[in-house]
Amino acid sequence: MQSCCATTWPLSVGAAMPSEPHSLHPLTLVFSAISVGRSFLLPAIFGGFSAGGGDIGRMFAWGLAFLSVPALLYATAKYATFRYRIDDDELILDSGVLSRRRRVIPLARVQNIDTHQSALQRLTGVAELRVETAGGDRTEAVLEVLALRDAEALQAELLTGRRVALGTAETATDRLAIDGDETLAQRLAHLRPADLVLAGATANEAGLIAAVLAAAIQMLEQLPIRLPEPNFPAIPELTTPMILLAVLGLILFFILLGWFVSIVGAVIGYHDFTLTKADGELRKDYGLLARRHATIPIERVQAMRVEESLLRRPFRLASLKLATAGAAPGERRRTSAQVFLPLARLPHVAPLTAAVFPDFDYAALTFSPVHPRARRRAFIRYAVPVLLAAAALAYFVNTNALWLAVLTPAMYGAAHLHYRHLGYALAPGYVIARAGFWNRITWIVPDNKIQTVHLTQTPLQRRHRLATLVVDTAAGGTFKAAEVVDLGRADGTSLLTTVAQRAIRARKAG
Amino acid sequence: MNTEDTPAMAEAGQDDSALRCLDGRVTLLWRVAMLIRTVVLTAIVLGAQGVLDPPVPTALIPTVVAALGIATVLFLPQARFRSWGYQVRADDLFVRRGVLWRIASVIPHTRIQHVDTRRGPLERWLGLSSIVVYTAGIRGADVTIPGLARADAELLRDHLAALGGGGDAV
Repeated sequence: MQSCCATTWPLSVGAAMPSEPHSLHPLTLVFSAISVGRSFLLPAIFGGFSAGGGDIGRMFAWGLAFLSVPALLYATAKYATFRYRIDDDELILDSGVLSRRRRVIPLARVQNIDTHQSALQRLTGVAELRVETAGGDRTEAVLEVLALRDAEALQAELLTGRRVALGTAETATDRLAIDGDETLAQRLAHLRPADLVLAGATANEAGLIAAVLAAAIQMLEQLPIRLPEPNFPAIPELTTPMILLAVLGLILFFILLGWFVSIVGAVIGYHDFTLTKADGELRKDYGLLARRHATIPIERVQAMRVEESLLRRPFRLASLKLATAGAAPGERRRTSAQVFLPLARLPHVAPLTAAVFPDFDYAALTFSPVHPRARRRAFIRYAVPVLLAAAALAYFVNTNALWLAVLTPAMYGAAHLHYRHLGYALAPGYVIARAGFWNRITWIVPDNKIQTVHLTQTPLQRRHRLATLVVDTAAGGTFKAAEVVDLGRADGTSLLTTVAQRAIRARKAG
Repeated sequence: MNTEDTPAMAEAGQDDSALRCLDGRVTLLWRVAMLIRTVVLTAIVLGAQGVLDPPVPTALIPTVVAALGIATVLFLPQARFRSWGYQVRADDLFVRRGVLWRIASVIPHTRIQHVDTRRGPLERWLGLSSIVVYTAGIRGADVTIPGLARADAELLRDHLAALGGGGDAV
């Protein structure tokens, strides 16, 4: 680049500013072939074999194999015709074989730029680049595959181009960390394997994994694979206590298995998790097999969640998540929030939130409780289903199920715990809501990201003169909005006005 | 002070007398819609009963369904009409509604992305319109105010669009 910007736009390593059209890396053909093979040839092989090798099976298999040829040709043509370039504040992608398509993405609208590498891609030194814009949950542009250096260079160019397009000031420090040069970026956090083991071990999702595994093993039994029948010696009659023990043992086994999988998943999936901040962007690098780099422009963050699961609270640990408008779909996510930091120690939460929200002080928060009648409502909500279930089971299955009713007093304890973890706080410029016993979630919503505010009442809440305040943001996905549950009605109505006024008075959202 | 008996939910700083109501014809709209739904639902239940053949007297379930449907047709529209109120205030739009599940919403003018008018076949027959206020939010993303006289809907739409001015980028 010999333009006048040369001094303020340092060249990225190894690649020129792509103003002339660029093609994808030739290895794209290999990966397309693999993808076609997966879609066509594998089912062909399986179909052919499982149908017993009969005529229909063979026709099916050969049919699929034939279909793979035009698919391969199409993929080759797509590679040959694909071009990308950056021109004048826009990323331009040209593609298409029969019908040419040009997609123009204004850099100012770019929101997330991620490079993604599968294991094979890491081995061969290539990566996928995914570009996302605001107001969409889909990836707007996928460049698959580029040489890793080209991908990182393009990512940097897009980000600096975006900053220029938005008119924000840029200096020599705008250059993002590339090739391990992180002296200009501020490192926020780094997770070691020991931390990741802890993260996996204390994750609430372990239970979910156990359930998924159990279901998966169930499904395996449905497959038409014939196993040899084992010859058991005569089994003595199983008595009910033995069956019960067996069932409990099985449940325990799945829980332990899920726990183990959770730990391994965390250690591998979040391997070498590094969080950095560089001039208005947050950057995550993590992963052992598939190394992921995600960039989140801070102004796109709609809200932040501090999650303290039951297992983590005694150890003073938390996990941090971000809600962005149009969260990256390439991220593997079990919840609908983007993981910011899988594990953080409580004293570090304040500086981490300050990295995203500079004028916010997590440590200085004082929470106001909600109305004590929330306990009563929670008790009714927990006790009624238990009693109904006991009654139904007693009627349809076994009268002994009535003993379940003894759980009712325990429901009051549960209701009390639920109440104790509810709360809200109003900090200068931020609204904070907290709820949850199994997983205590603290929402941090900046005033200028509040979209609409609602006060809702279920019939039961009306009976107890309670209400729930819902603070709606633009966070994408199946996100629950920040809620303050079970406020006294008077508090609720005044809070509705207060929070709405904050949203109105806050500086322009953007 | 406000007690449990008032049909409206007490709103601090919100004068109930300043709230505008929907057009009265909307109760007719709701009655017709609910009647149609009741008939369809009863037909479905009858059909399902014919296929599944549950161990209950034949007339029981469809009668219950039909009775519930008729009850909603008779009593719900009026209650719902009374529960609806909206007001365009200085800085925001206030909307409240709900018979059993109550909800009061505040939409700052600066957050309004755009405002649509919508007219279904029943609404067209009665000369009514709904407006839909779009924000960038998720839970309260589209707030719909139904049962407005067509002219009023157009006026309200223009008024809100002028106040909103395209809304803030996210």
